[in-house]
Amino acid sequence: MRPSHKLFILLLVLIIIDSMLYLHAKRLSRGLKKDQAVQAISVAALGLTDLCVATEARYTRHPAVSDPLAPFMDHPGAIEHFPTGSFWSVPTNMYLQ
Amino acid sequence: MLPKGLEKQINILDFSLMSLWRRKLKNLGIMFVFALVIFLLGSFQMLTGALTNSAQAVLKNTPDITIQKMSAGRQEAIPLAHAEKLHSIYGIRAIIPRVWGYYFDESKLANYTIMALEHDSMPYGNNLNLTLAYGHFPKKTEIGKAVIGRSVHDILGLDKRRIFSLFRPDLTLKSFEVIGVFSQQTDLLSNDLIIMNLTDARDLFHIPELMATDICVYVTNPTEIETIAKKIAGLLPDTRVLTKSQIQKTYQVVFSWRSGLASICLLTALAAFAILAWDKASGMSPEEKREIGILKILGWETGDILAVRFWESVLVSVLAFLFGCTGAYIHVAFFDASLLKPIMVGWSVIYPSFKLLPSVTLADLLLIFTFSVLPYLGATVIPAWRSATVPPDSAIR
Repeated sequence: MRPSHKLFILLLVLIIIDSMLYLHAKRLSRGLKKDQAVQAISVAALGLTDLCVATEARYTRHPAVSDPLAPFMDHPGAIEHFPTGSFWSVPTNMYLQ
Repeated sequence: MLPKGLEKQINILDFSLMSLWRRKLKNLGIMFVFALVIFLLGSFQMLTGALTNSAQAVLKNTPDITIQKMSAGRQEAIPLAHAEKLHSIYGIRAIIPRVWGYYFDESKLANYTIMALEHDSMPYGNNLNLTLAYGHFPKKTEIGKAVIGRSVHDILGLDKRRIFSLFRPDLTLKSFEVIGVFSQQTDLLSNDLIIMNLTDARDLFHIPELMATDICVYVTNPTEIETIAKKIAGLLPDTRVLTKSQIQKTYQVVFSWRSGLASICLLTALAAFAILAWDKASGMSPEEKREIGILKILGWETGDILAVRFWESVLVSVLAFLFGCTGAYIHVAFFDASLLKPIMVGWSVIYPSFKLLPSVTLADLLLIFTFSVLPYLGATVIPAWRSATVPPDSAIR
């Protein structure tokens, strides 16, 4: 077998795997839509503003409603020490005031 | 029968594959490192995209306007008298004060979010019990009852028990009975939540009767949200007024490409890889030089040798791209992005399972392709040209 034929077989296998992953994504998307309908109720009825992804610091638990300067507000000269603070960017200053 | 040009390219492809295979340790090593860098970049992009998409999908129903009182640059409790002042603004449908805050459980090192409001007055308030795996939300008259998130239930080790206690600021204990647990479907929002009555939350946090944490405002006409928000900001100058669109925009920027140290580290890894690729490709071994010399003596032209080098680079980079991206999807979709999760949640003790749909868009793939494959091709083109123009006699001598 020519080396290029082996390469084409490898590419074919990758295409089949990626097609299966595409079908998986479609199925997962349908499942998540059902979850999102329930999540939308909890957001509306409890007035939630943020995803519960990181719970270690208030500015990563509730970035939408916490003080944008919070990482440096614990005391003068305080530096950021929570790991998530380096991963999440501080929201841009979008407040009316 | 294949066209002559295509047949030639397939022959060159065969030669390139055999050439790559002859130096398999070096080439497979480069491909592995390359695929790893693309895998990390792709996982990062798919995970942050998935979180941004989830936020956009579910945070459509956040309060129209949220009002927080500010003092010395920090948020503090807002007097309910502020809510009374808002009645003078035309177009406001509902004003709902909330009491909420954080409770740090020192024994478990976990942070809980405590929340209390009159949910009957909120939109979809009547359907709220649909978000629970079992039980119901505490009514106005049900004192000492709470609904908790699944992780809170687990971390408190409640199992079949229903009673748990929290400390007030003066270190006296306040007991709660669990009357409901959020369903798994809402984990991404409710995992650390403890929902209780307004009276209980005020008692737990020692917040006076006439104070609240913030005020949610609902507007009759959604197109007037910005106008009413500006009126509120003028009426209550000591407050911060957040509109629904501002809250939604937060999640468009908080995980963006340019955000955070993690993306900088990944891009640095990519730059380091480009340097490695340059170094590997430019340092021709005597064997490679001899091979080129022999090919030229046999009648190969510079263009043919360049084509071989081009195919080698394309094969290494495109295969690494395909392996890296496929691996990234599998990592995020099937393994809950377990390599990035520790960075994402930091020291959090409570965090949800990341059952997310990896965000795969053509724009993202092109971006990763541009950041990875093109620099590699660029880094190898000049060494390829140098190798192709080696005089045959000097190469085999």
